[in-house]
Amino acid sequence: MFNIALLIAKKDLTIILGRSAGLCQALLLGLLLIFLFSLSLETGQKLSPHAAATMFWLASVFCQVLIFQMLYTNEEQNSARVGLQTLPCQIQAIWLGKFFAGFVLLLLSQLLFIPALFIFLSQHIGLHYGYSLLGIFLTDIGICTCGSLLGALCVGQSGKESLLSIIIFPLLIPLLLSAISLSSVGLLDFENSFYDIAQIQQWLGIAFAFDMMFCAASLILFPFLYRGE
Amino acid sequence: MLQKLFLPLAILAIISVAISQYLIFIYAPLEQYLGYAQKIFYFHLPVAWWSFVSFFLSAVFGILYLLKKKQRYDNISYASAELGFVLATLTLITGSIWGRHSWGVWWTWDPKLTTALVLWFIFAAYLVVRTMPMSQEQKGNISAVIAIIGFLDVPLIFFATRLWRSIHPAVFNAEGGGLEPEMVHTIIFCVLSFVFIWLWFWLYRINQLEQEKQLEQIRTELLYNEESENND
Repeated sequence: MFNIALLIAKKDLTIILGRSAGLCQALLLGLLLIFLFSLSLETGQKLSPHAAATMFWLASVFCQVLIFQMLYTNEEQNSARVGLQTLPCQIQAIWLGKFFAGFVLLLLSQLLFIPALFIFLSQHIGLHYGYSLLGIFLTDIGICTCGSLLGALCVGQSGKESLLSIIIFPLLIPLLLSAISLSSVGLLDFENSFYDIAQIQQWLGIAFAFDMMFCAASLILFPFLYRGE
Repeated sequence: MLQKLFLPLAILAIISVAISQYLIFIYAPLEQYLGYAQKIFYFHLPVAWWSFVSFFLSAVFGILYLLKKKQRYDNISYASAELGFVLATLTLITGSIWGRHSWGVWWTWDPKLTTALVLWFIFAAYLVVRTMPMSQEQKGNISAVIAIIGFLDVPLIFFATRLWRSIHPAVFNAEGGGLEPEMVHTIIFCVLSFVFIWLWFWLYRINQLEQEKQLEQIRTELLYNEESENND
């Protein structure tokens, strides 16, 4: 199952990265969000780390919605869905493959969003950026777990495209709260580097619990969504 | 079968509402600071609790539908989600009115408020899915998955929003949440007696959905027979 999942991810990454239009669209949307928000600031005014982290995650989640729509729509447009469903492995391999591909694409997008955050929203790296990086890693896992599960329902029929955003945004709220808190710790200024380690651990715990819960739920529920078992 | 229960439930619902009104306006004392505005609490809490019960049942029957593939389970899950959505809407409206009087704002960040709103959004998406043009089985599968993951998410939403910040009062804590005994009796009666209204709506909607499916089946059979006759 794992090898097939990696093969699916490799195929998706080759197609998407080879054809620049798809990912560029998601990247541009994220960058535009950060840039447009920067217009609300007065000259020399600095955004709070919490607000900057919120913008970063808003851009990431919009980007993730486009990424997973792209990953599943590709199969639909090329009539490859039946081919995938008849693969000699568990159907969860498709979910895992899309998860890997989505995770890599989201990380690549965030590599662009982070500098944009420093440039447009005047942020600085704090002392405790390690927690932020761990937070980004755990949050990306959760976001991609959810995206890979629910992306399967947005394909096929007209009108379902916007459905993914409507369902995924409320579901991701606990994870996003954790992500915003952890990311803002890494954005604090050096001189104001006050943080509560116990609270950071609690936020990491929430992100980890979300990842585990949605991984388990996705493994069980994905066949019902993708194959209609 | 279900129809036989409608009349007794309606009678019980009317009696329990009448007793609730007596308890709310005559038996329970007037709150010192909030006055009559506090009386909305006796409606707010029952609708909030029963909306959570409805969402829970929607998830449970969603699981049963995925496992057994029986149309009846999908109908029950759908009816529970619809009722839960209506009650959650009433919870948010009454909560906002109460919040305006006690906190001075229509809306504020709070675990209970946020959890209710997030559930409202998730089940709004659920209801959108139910209106989409797709096969009955596909619709059942997708809706069941949304109901299950939506309900699974509730504890995480609650803990995450509580960690963020909270100002909501704890109604039933060890000391009774600062309520007079008469107020506690009244709220307990209101919450428990709401079961008749809830049950009546719930069974009525399940019955309606089952009749709708039967009508659809008859219509399909008639169309099929008509086509067969035309071909002959």
